[in-house]
Amino acid sequence: MLHFIGKIIGNFFYRPKKCNCPSCSKLTKSVAGISLLATGLLFSQDCNLTLKGKVVDLHDNTPLAGALINIIGSNENFISNESGYFLIENQCNGIINLKISHLSCEDLLTEFDLNKSSSKTFFMEHHIESLKEIIVSENKLKNLSSTANSYSLSQLEKHRYSSGNLANALGSISGVSNLSSGNSVAKPVIHGMFGSRVGIIYDGVVLEDQQWGKDHAPNLDLNSFDNIRLIKGAGLLKYTGDTPGGVIVLESSTPKISDSLYGKTILNGMSNGRGLNIITSWIRSFQSGMYFKAQGTMKKNGDYNTPNYILSNTGNNEENFSVTIGRNKILKKLRFNFSYFSQEIGILRSSHIGNVGDLLRAIQSNEPFVINPFSYEVNFPKQFNKHYTTSIEYSIRNNSNGKWTAKYNWQKNNRKEYDIRIGSNKYNPAINLTLNTHNLVSNYEWTKSNFSYDLGLFSQFQDNFSNPDTGIKRLIPDYVKVRLGSFFTISYSVFKNLAFNFGFRYEHINNLVQKYYRNSRWNDENYEKDLGPYVIKEILSQKLIKRRIIFNNPSFNFGIKSKIIPSHEISFNFFYTQRAPDIAEMFSDGLHHAVASIEYGDPFLKSETTQKVLVNFEKKEGDFQYNFNPYLTNGKNYIIIEPTGVEKSIRGAFPVWEFRSISSLFKGLDVDLSYRLNKNITYKNNTSWIEGVDKNTKTPIINIPPLTTNNQIQFSLSKWKSFFGSIISKYVFNQNQFPDNNFYTTIIENGTKVEKLVDISTPPDGYHDLGIDLNWGPYKLFSNKVSFSLTFDNILNANYRNYLNRMRFYNDELGRNVMVQIKINH
Amino acid sequence: MLKNIYTNTLLIISAFLLVISCDKGEPVVVHEHEVFTRVVLEVKKDGETNFKKYTFEVEGHDDHGDDDHGDDDHGDEHTEVELDTNSTYHVGIFFYNDSDPDNIEDVTLEVIEEADAHQVFYEMTEIPGFSIAAASDDTKDSNGNPLFLKTSWTTASETSGDVMAYLIHEPTSKTGSTRADFGGATDLQIEFEVHIE
Repeated sequence: MLHFIGKIIGNFFYRPKKCNCPSCSKLTKSVAGISLLATGLLFSQDCNLTLKGKVVDLHDNTPLAGALINIIGSNENFISNESGYFLIENQCNGIINLKISHLSCEDLLTEFDLNKSSSKTFFMEHHIESLKEIIVSENKLKNLSSTANSYSLSQLEKHRYSSGNLANALGSISGVSNLSSGNSVAKPVIHGMFGSRVGIIYDGVVLEDQQWGKDHAPNLDLNSFDNIRLIKGAGLLKYTGDTPGGVIVLESSTPKISDSLYGKTILNGMSNGRGLNIITSWIRSFQSGMYFKAQGTMKKNGDYNTPNYILSNTGNNEENFSVTIGRNKILKKLRFNFSYFSQEIGILRSSHIGNVGDLLRAIQSNEPFVINPFSYEVNFPKQFNKHYTTSIEYSIRNNSNGKWTAKYNWQKNNRKEYDIRIGSNKYNPAINLTLNTHNLVSNYEWTKSNFSYDLGLFSQFQDNFSNPDTGIKRLIPDYVKVRLGSFFTISYSVFKNLAFNFGFRYEHINNLVQKYYRNSRWNDENYEKDLGPYVIKEILSQKLIKRRIIFNNPSFNFGIKSKIIPSHEISFNFFYTQRAPDIAEMFSDGLHHAVASIEYGDPFLKSETTQKVLVNFEKKEGDFQYNFNPYLTNGKNYIIIEPTGVEKSIRGAFPVWEFRSISSLFKGLDVDLSYRLNKNITYKNNTSWIEGVDKNTKTPIINIPPLTTNNQIQFSLSKWKSFFGSIISKYVFNQNQFPDNNFYTTIIENGTKVEKLVDISTPPDGYHDLGIDLNWGPYKLFSNKVSFSLTFDNILNANYRNYLNRMRFYNDELGRNVMVQIKINH
Repeated sequence: MLKNIYTNTLLIISAFLLVISCDKGEPVVVHEHEVFTRVVLEVKKDGETNFKKYTFEVEGHDDHGDDDHGDDDHGDEHTEVELDTNSTYHVGIFFYNDSDPDNIEDVTLEVIEEADAHQVFYEMTEIPGFSIAAASDDTKDSNGNPLFLKTSWTTASETSGDVMAYLIHEPTSKTGSTRADFGGATDLQIEFEVHIE
């Protein structure tokens, strides 16, 4: 106990660089005096005991010579020898209190219960200052790239979206929107691109969770990370070379070096969906650099509602946790992490349809066909996804300021999609994919004068298993993918005002695919000529092919950033990326119920090549700040999916969508403005405009976000210091650039057979969404700090549909939602 | 130092690749059990013992010789059901899965088993004097609604018209006069002409 108090006091009076401050020693002396008094009273005397001690450096176990050991309350001093040893003789039994001091280190106050002669090793934080500096500098958000702008979410924004998902949270950044399939499934869209074209990097590794699917939301919990940032464009060749849209980086910060236990708990309650969340994270850190971190999230939501009706079967449940154990030393760092993510998402009951006739009726109807009373139950159709991550990271520094890092990461993803089925398959998923990905990454970073370099090697092994027990033909085939490569980046800062950046990445991708083709499809597409040699088996009117597909993809970028006039910055970045087609783009084969379409891949697709030019003109200081960000993306072999006809069968008609490659061109502009009216009021605006076309046919590309403008007024009150609020208005215009993918279907109406247009193309009208955020705090509560917030989404309860929501054929967007949030910092 | 790092890294990566680069087993063929591949209408004139069989088959269905080409043709093919004037017919609709020719499954039994979750509906263009009603031996769900698996067809004068028959899964209503009234998902949709001569 005394030891503990002594340590706290020691820490409290700790002065950097000087170990022996007078006030400190005075206090410890008096504390020690009391303890000596206590020992004197309580124990009988046996005064022939010895304590053999050794003083070593905690971080590298080297012996510390010349450490001064003082028995507190006496004048007895000892000094450790060359090997770190010291000997204290003729001691009486009982507790002795020692103070060990050494140059450039924190004093160690320790007690020792001496009842027989013993020996003990004492660990000292020898380089505590420099270690702390390293941690601080590592936690400082270094720019992701020296020339391309990165955008980060503030802690407040992160907390605001703690109940939602990654795509919602990033949606407040200009140029970013989300492609959703209902309320709980959303994918981030950056500069008009999503899925495999947007890399999600968590703790330094790309998330592999079947990201190709339009209705596959990222399988990660944003609450288990401390910082969320993104780069628009393929600015991070260290992580990916095939993500022309952009890169989202989620990082955990390194815990502090001290003996402490701290944490954070967030409680959310939502009116829409009657949801409850609890999110908590705890860190136990030690003076030795060791730490233990545990984080957990539980979310439960029932059926959401639009202003006028309940969206039956849209509830969702989430249970996630992660644990991290690590140790930071000056030269070495070791980290082990395990995380588990599990999510059950109900899909709107009415969106499970049979054929195009049903789709037509859904589009014609203002409301979903099935509206049941509110329920927390998640029935079919639903998704049930799990993602496990195990990673080990080790890094070591050398004297010339180089840092070598090796990382191994294993991700196991299981995705089950349940449809409404009959008979013995009723409870059997229609899709059951297990994706195992092993990553081994190693890089060496070093700096020399004004240059900093990063050179790395990476390898990935991926295995996809499509479980045949579903009893439904595989949507994507079984495959094994090996990815090998290397990257090299250089940044050079000439003065403070001029920086250059160059990066190169090379990837070799080797896919071994085994796929069953139905004979009918095989014959229709004349696959015999090209795929015939790969057939290894014929069974039940299907052909099994085994085919190896290899891609060699270089990508590079370069950038320049300069301060032309003080406070103004201009940057120019060019990204060249090559992306190997997804397995899904090459081999998709299946029916999508919600859109009643059949999707087919093209097995002969080539790597997609894009060139992106991005200019940033920015003013970062003063009351008026802005950032203009025009960009242009030119794509060759750009892979899209589009309708090619209608398949008719005894199940009715289904439009057929096939993947193919085009020459594409995207142009866009993101604008961020911020004006500080006075110390209490700030006005902010961000606006994103983008257009994408097929260069040959001059037709617009599908699912391009419409012109969007966000206006925000942030306000605080001089009298009420702990209050902060904002009003957020989002206006999304009508998208008038869209391809016409409509088709006709035959129905019987009023006694006659008629051809009806199935309008799946026309985007819905523009809409306005108003929200208010009110935040109070932090207030002190015992040893905790508590903050509250009250958030209103769609406060006007407006009725609208969203072009980028695949459920727009069935239902309106969500009505008003009130969220109460309590945040406790422990 | 640097050199060591690279050799170490390369060694680790090559060991890693060696461990994982084993071949993957051959995937099992998926046999789609619950799909409907064939719909059969058995049309029997009252008072007669023989019935006429009309078969509708799924596109891309490969078990019938070299009849693989032109999937779309099936849908456009017209099936004509010939009926006499002023007669009544007993018609049964049956659903089969014959994707495994050695083990043809009668899915009608599953529909009967899940009677509450299914409904057959015949929707037609204006055909004067022609009507379809549930037959007396039809299957009824737990609420006593006939499923229209067995129907009684009545004809009058000479005419013709189009009929669409649907098998609806989890309908929101078990009765109605248009397809929209039933809601639910369409599991099957066949189209044929009736010729009353």
